[in-house]
Amino acid sequence: MALLNRMDWYDLARTTNWTPTYVTEDELFPPQLSGGFGLPQGAWEKYDEPYKQTYPEYVKVQREKDAGAYSVKAALERSRIFENSDPGWKSVMKAHYGAIARGEYAAASAEARMMRFSKAPGMRNMATLGCMDEIRHGQMQLYFPHEHVAKDRQMDWAFKAYDTNEWAMIAARHFFDDIMLTRDAISVSIMLTFSFETGFTNMQFLGLAADAAEAGDHTFANLISSIQTDESRHAQIGGPALKVLIENGHKAEAQKRVDIAVWRAWKLFSVLTGPIMDYYTPLEHRKQSFKEFMEEWIVAQFERALTDMGLDLPWYWEQFLADLNETHHGMHLGSYYWRPTVWWNPAAGVTPEERDWLEKKYPGWNETWGQCWDVIIENVVDGNMALTYPETLPYVCNMCQLPILGTPGSKWNVKDYPLDYNGRLYHFGSEVDRWVFQQEPERYAGHLSIVDRFLAGMIQPMDLGGALHYMNIAPGECGDDAHDYAWADVYRAMRATKKAG
Amino acid sequence: MILGSSAQAYHNNMVGPIMRAGDLATAVIEAAKLDNPGRELFVEDKRAYIRIHMEQEMVLRRQTIEEELGRPFKMNDLEVDLSSFAGQIESRDNEIRFYFVKRI
Repeated sequence: MALLNRMDWYDLARTTNWTPTYVTEDELFPPQLSGGFGLPQGAWEKYDEPYKQTYPEYVKVQREKDAGAYSVKAALERSRIFENSDPGWKSVMKAHYGAIARGEYAAASAEARMMRFSKAPGMRNMATLGCMDEIRHGQMQLYFPHEHVAKDRQMDWAFKAYDTNEWAMIAARHFFDDIMLTRDAISVSIMLTFSFETGFTNMQFLGLAADAAEAGDHTFANLISSIQTDESRHAQIGGPALKVLIENGHKAEAQKRVDIAVWRAWKLFSVLTGPIMDYYTPLEHRKQSFKEFMEEWIVAQFERALTDMGLDLPWYWEQFLADLNETHHGMHLGSYYWRPTVWWNPAAGVTPEERDWLEKKYPGWNETWGQCWDVIIENVVDGNMALTYPETLPYVCNMCQLPILGTPGSKWNVKDYPLDYNGRLYHFGSEVDRWVFQQEPERYAGHLSIVDRFLAGMIQPMDLGGALHYMNIAPGECGDDAHDYAWADVYRAMRATKKAG
Repeated sequence: MILGSSAQAYHNNMVGPIMRAGDLATAVIEAAKLDNPGRELFVEDKRAYIRIHMEQEMVLRRQTIEEELGRPFKMNDLEVDLSSFAGQIESRDNEIRFYFVKRI
């Protein structure tokens, strides 16, 4: 039977807008959910998705993808990759699954919002497929780690993390809720699919896949790069929405949404992806540094495409480029220091060879972050373990929910960016975080950071035990040094040699 | 510090697919040469993914990929291994195009 080519019927098939007569357009598409920017349905009918897909094609292609990913898993299941992998690499997997898997279900909900409420028929079609993509990602990223739960209790956090008040999860939820779950359909398309998915998911799902392939974890590499083939399609939902907004005089609104989402994504990735790429992944398996991956995926690829579509580089562009050298080193130091409060075991990543690598990739590392690590190393070598843990809380930013950081050393530059709003004093880690808040204060004003909750007496008793209880971290799940401090042996030996000499 | 190198990364006009390794990626590399004659092709193999790029514009034709694969191929089958791409995309029944509107 002769079949029509797709493009012979595609335009007709997606022409699904009609003029409602029993209800008003605003009742059919409530502005708060649809985000029409005051544009009538007709303006949104010009939306033309550049990466087209139809349901029959989708089913066929997805079946093939799943067959590939699941057969690689089945083939390698008995190869003991997990058991034999470096403890640092196990931590990469734990951090990834916990922070991502259930977020995929939230993303399915965000896609469903575009599917129902977008005034653009083409967007509704692509979001229908995108919603099923995200369900696939949630299911796979719960199923794949599940085989390891019996071997390692922290793997249970692949499912559990999103239900807890663990601090990194509060930060992740604050961001994802902001861009995915509490915005209108058009804003979701710009903030989630365009800003986050054409940009940052490439870091976590392809950059990290490159490290995974080097580490021999082909199940994980294959899984996440397969997921990214879905992303590369449905991430294109936002682009044509941007074009519609720009053509109709709403460039500033579009730009603002991109700038907010990109900055917020960057902060989350500085704590999630930066440490795992530059410290946890065993040195010999690091394909590139975190900064090099950021330059490849975000600077060269995403931002270049963004300006090609008629937007500008974010107003904080120079600060962003400067922070690529710094922020994640502080995030790593902080999460290592507060390691009992995470669901994975942070790898210190500071043997002499690793420090040489860090110095090469980030000139000045030893003079700055290295100085802090010198103190930790001294204490570990001396057996003063109590001194390697914190006694106080960090100051946490009321936007990114992550510690307020500066770069240590001679240029110590930590700074609080405060804001008084309706009688409450808020603290931010950067000018940009504060700017995000100021764009829509009521959206964020009621939220309490983990430190705010501590100071409000919501965490009892006010000590580590109380904090762990509040964060739902059960005994046996607490993070500790990934290598049980074996990395310090070399420093112990160096000291002994020095003494003998 | 080393602001320069990061800022420079932005100044590029590279477009094209980023593929998972496999026979499809190999066919796409060959198709990129055949369908864009006289143009310089940049292939960067990162093991988990392969960047297949050209300056400003790259066209891939369904028929060329089909011939390189030696089996029937529909244009949207590319998605099975298309993990990402640089530039903007335009998808049609018999070809796919990656491009930038502006040149830097």
